[in-house]
Amino acid sequence: MRKKLFRKIYGFNILIALFLIFYSFGLGIGAEKPIVIGGSLPLTGTFSATGKWVERGYQFWAEEINSKGGLLGRPVKLLIYDDKSDAKEAVNLAEKVITVDKVDLLLGGYPGTACTAVMPVAEKHKMVYVSMGGHMKSFSQGYTYSFGGPPLMGEWWYLGFFEWMKTVPPDKRPKKAAIYTMNNPIGMALMDSIYKGCKELGIEIVIDEKYNLPLTTADPMITKAKQMKADLLFANGMFPDGVMTIRACKALDYSPKAIVQGIGSVIPEWTRELGKDGDYIFSGTSWHYKLKYPGNDKLIRVAKERFKEDEPPLYFGFGYAWMQTLQQGVEGAKSLDQTKIRDWLKLNEVRTIAGNFKFDERGLPKPFIYLTQVINGTVELIWPPDMRTHEPVYPKPPWK
Amino acid sequence: MFNLIVIIQSIVSGLLIGGIFALLGVGFSLTWGVMKVINIAHAAFGLLASYIAYWGLNLYGIDPILSLFLSLPLLFVTGLFIHRFLIQHITRSKDIIVASMILTFGLAIILENIMLLAWTPDERLITTSYSSKAIFLGDIIIRISNLLGFILSIIGISTIYLFLYHTKTGKAVRATWQDPEGAALQGVNLQKVSMIAFGLAIASSGAGGVALAYMYSFNPPSHNLWLIFLFLVVIVGGVGSIMGSAISGLLIGLITGLSNAFFPMQWINVLLFGLLMVILLIKPEGLFKK
Repeated sequence: MRKKLFRKIYGFNILIALFLIFYSFGLGIGAEKPIVIGGSLPLTGTFSATGKWVERGYQFWAEEINSKGGLLGRPVKLLIYDDKSDAKEAVNLAEKVITVDKVDLLLGGYPGTACTAVMPVAEKHKMVYVSMGGHMKSFSQGYTYSFGGPPLMGEWWYLGFFEWMKTVPPDKRPKKAAIYTMNNPIGMALMDSIYKGCKELGIEIVIDEKYNLPLTTADPMITKAKQMKADLLFANGMFPDGVMTIRACKALDYSPKAIVQGIGSVIPEWTRELGKDGDYIFSGTSWHYKLKYPGNDKLIRVAKERFKEDEPPLYFGFGYAWMQTLQQGVEGAKSLDQTKIRDWLKLNEVRTIAGNFKFDERGLPKPFIYLTQVINGTVELIWPPDMRTHEPVYPKPPWK
Repeated sequence: MFNLIVIIQSIVSGLLIGGIFALLGVGFSLTWGVMKVINIAHAAFGLLASYIAYWGLNLYGIDPILSLFLSLPLLFVTGLFIHRFLIQHITRSKDIIVASMILTFGLAIILENIMLLAWTPDERLITTSYSSKAIFLGDIIIRISNLLGFILSIIGISTIYLFLYHTKTGKAVRATWQDPEGAALQGVNLQKVSMIAFGLAIASSGAGGVALAYMYSFNPPSHNLWLIFLFLVVIVGGVGSIMGSAISGLLIGLITGLSNAFFPMQWINVLLFGLLMVILLIKPEGLFKK
């Protein structure tokens, strides 16, 4: 009797256990497999400061989309490797995520050198690649799966400055320009818009010199510009050489009508580290948190609450915007088929926090750039007028 | 007139910077010469002092020069510990140079990651009330921050020189360098002498780091860049030669300055490293090695 009862209980327990096992498996089978989006970013090394913000932009986008039910109804999982700020490593990792990890979608990289190197890999494997790109050269290679959404185009960088300068009365415009440019692809890409703009406005270029990074001293450069009485200075560099140039300008009491700086002056470190000396510097950008496009308010809030940043850093926004473009491509194509995503992106307009874009056959939107100026420690939007957040300060006040 | 001002300005700026490279390079040269230890982490220790100076300035308003009273002893003691627990163990290696490079390369990576954790990868800049101020000599300027760095360099290099040539321990360091076995027979405690020399070298990197931070922005990977100039200073000056490092630093600064004045600026690195190759071909032991 006791034996029978024991068998019954034992059998019942086994049934429950089997039920639980099958139920769990059932749940597993029923749950959607995540969409894996993979690639690499410079999380250590020279470009890590910016790379980490791109990563945060990606992660915030992933969190947000997962909280809304995922992409195509499936959760999103990011697979981000560290390419150690090395473009060759970025290429290896792009091959790895495509062929070994077999990701569903490819993540855009940073900086332009890495993107330029990864674009042919994306093309070879027919994977859509949304990133900043590597300036015009990278978009002129006939790649069909790469998109700059939005791109960071050196060739367009100062378009906003010259468009705004056309509104300045001719007698108040600068007459002589000194151009100092870092000797690398980013620096070279900046030259197009400067030559064109100066020619159009009749500004004589009195100095046009390139320097290799790292810059050891900016004092002789600024001495030369001052001697030549250049009243417009283009300091086409990054942060380290940018701050050296500005400090040399102040030390030499050289105050041209306008100082236009390449990349360094739109990152938060510029105002934080240079203080008042960083004011009144013009630059360009293809995203700014004050742009009147939906979503920027959200980024401002997240940057403040989560990262204690008063202004969302530039590359936080870029990372988010690139994912918005990829997301709309996938949702528009209603599929993870890369060719369908590509075709949808080529034919339709995407709406991002940086603007609304329609891509041409190269994967580029129409030339655009926003002119910025640092005023009272804040990067303000100056051009186009409908996006203006502050009146420009021109000519630049003398150094205090 | 235009050319003369630019030429003089280029030379002045170049010399000031060269002096600072010399300060950073002198300790690197010392450990290489005395112990055959190529300390790849040398510039990373210098960078650590830059961060301490940055912290002191931004949190407590302490002038970067004053921060050296904290960072130099700290780095000296750190140097002693590193020598005792790491370097001493590789001195038994057949190839100390290679072993030390591998060991200190690892140390540099660890230091870089500690700095990344403590100060994030953001660019930092030492901004004092005199950062952009200058002394005007006609149209020529001498930046106060560069001048301070240069003075620091003179003090640092002179201190190391006086230590090596006018103190008992210093003489023991030199004796160890010239003939380790002979020095040991004379009762010199090789390990102790090497430990002090290593501590001193690491401390001198701190002074160099602060002097460089006056001029350049920095972030945790910056030490890799500084390291290139260290090699340049030491190879041109001669491994182990203190005065060689000082003169070599000034020479590098002078060439940089003159290149700025007479050649397109993008040629500077070509000229500098071209010079390095020529020196290695003509005098492989460096210009000032006896």
